[in-house]
Amino acid sequence: MKKFVSAALLSSCVALAIGCSGPAANPPAAGPSAEGARFRLTAEPASAQDVKAVRESAKDEEEVTIVGRIGGDVNPWVEGQAAFMVVDNSLKPCNEKDDDACTTPWDYCCDTDVLPQSKAMVKIVGDDGRPLSTDARKLLGLKELQTVVVRGKAKRDDSGNLTVLADGVFVRN
Amino acid sequence: MFRFRLLPWDYGIRNLFRRPTRTALTLAALSTVVLLVLVVAAFIRGLEGSLAASGDPSVILVYSINASSDIENSSIPARTGALLSASLDGIDKRFGQSFVSPELYIGTRITSVADGPLMFGIVRGVTPAAPMLRRQVQITEGNWPGPGEILVGRLVPTKLGCDPQLLTIGSTLHFDGRDWKVSGRFTAGGAAFESEIWVPLDDYQQALKRQDLSLVAVGLAPGAMASDVELFCKERVDLEIQAVRETDYYASLQTHYRPVRILGWLVVSLVAGAGIFAGLNTMYGAVVGRVRELSTLQAIGFRRRAIAISLIQESLLLSTAASLLACLIAVFIVNGAAVRFTMGAFSLRVDSVVILVGCGTGLLLGLVGAIPPAIKALRYSVLDGLKAV
Repeated sequence: MKKFVSAALLSSCVALAIGCSGPAANPPAAGPSAEGARFRLTAEPASAQDVKAVRESAKDEEEVTIVGRIGGDVNPWVEGQAAFMVVDNSLKPCNEKDDDACTTPWDYCCDTDVLPQSKAMVKIVGDDGRPLSTDARKLLGLKELQTVVVRGKAKRDDSGNLTVLADGVFVRN
Repeated sequence: MFRFRLLPWDYGIRNLFRRPTRTALTLAALSTVVLLVLVVAAFIRGLEGSLAASGDPSVILVYSINASSDIENSSIPARTGALLSASLDGIDKRFGQSFVSPELYIGTRITSVADGPLMFGIVRGVTPAAPMLRRQVQITEGNWPGPGEILVGRLVPTKLGCDPQLLTIGSTLHFDGRDWKVSGRFTAGGAAFESEIWVPLDDYQQALKRQDLSLVAVGLAPGAMASDVELFCKERVDLEIQAVRETDYYASLQTHYRPVRILGWLVVSLVAGAGIFAGLNTMYGAVVGRVRELSTLQAIGFRRRAIAISLIQESLLLSTAASLLACLIAVFIVNGAAVRFTMGAFSLRVDSVVILVGCGTGLLLGLVGAIPPAIKALRYSVLDGLKAV
């Protein structure tokens, strides 16, 4: 009886040690869905510009190619729609700064003063011009802080906000 | 050969009345324990119910991205409501009026002109569109507020900690540098709005000398997608706004109050534990004083199991009576009592879950409080028991 109890206790300790051995590694992004495969580019488009440069120079309805990292908010995705935010590469996410244990480094909370001018919205649109009603993570197999090159049409408003209506996305890393 | 015979049912009942003082004291102690459990459970259910009743899944709250979940610290441009109306197709409309409610939500110091002490209350600046989205709100007395007037929620006296007579129609409150006359009172089905004072938005903005808003509430048409509002907020980086479904907002407040609820249930456990020990003490005392009687019962042929069951029966009868008494007090006195709590007030709720918890605790007290003494009683040999003093 004593041996059985000791063995059970030892097994529990081992199980706890394995289970609590630290935070699980971020799971890798799943691949694009069948619907999303046609938007996922196999080669990087040429002449990609940073988000800030496109915000400054792009005109409404102009064809643009923009490069940035997925992020800019605690939740850079739009639930149930193929849309996400990208941030200029000049900004460093929290996890690339020393001594920062931020659990959502893609929100760029350390750079909130320059963040509004350094981000843009990307929408994957269908033939009707409306964003597809599938989450971009599932549609294109994306995840936070990936560097993406997006090809599409710029949409500007009077306040300087930039939205890219994308017809192709290349994932750099 | 020998059938297992239980002691007569009325034997246990007569035993309870043989020592009326001890029985009454034990009944009082058990009732108090169960009532305490009911009050704490009613507090937790009331808090949960208030937050659950406050949210509408078809209402989206648009407020500052920098405010996290603290709408009181939110500040968004005044034009946000008009922009949302113009930009989104999925907003509900009725008779040409969009379901868009711009609001100013402020915690402020309030005094009654007739009485001096400072009170802390919640004031919401609203337009006539607000009741279209907050469908639980019903004016029970008086009228919608005009310029210089306010509408007072049912639980505002509790929130302010003042005499309800100070908030009758026609009475005056003073806050934010102005006097405001009470034009009416409203209820909201137990929602958090009941602890708020509603004031015309334009009036309140003038009083505060500010043009911005705390939030805009948007009502979605059936079939419309909340993600359209979220997409608008994320596209309009210049406005620095975010969109949250109202139910999700209040669910996040529930999470915020989780430590309070855990503490509440811990108190319930501790009180129940204290009740068990009190019951154990009482039953041990009862058993020790009846050793000769129990041994006599064994001598005349009753089995130890039957005697133990009779002791448990007595304990359960007492605890059941205590539970019923406590439930009656809870239902008729505790239920509906208003409680002031942090940013609002809510009513204690004695519902079926609370009754179940209370009665279950009472029965557990009776059962657990009787078993160890019953086991002890049966350890005496018949001879030693008969010779006991």
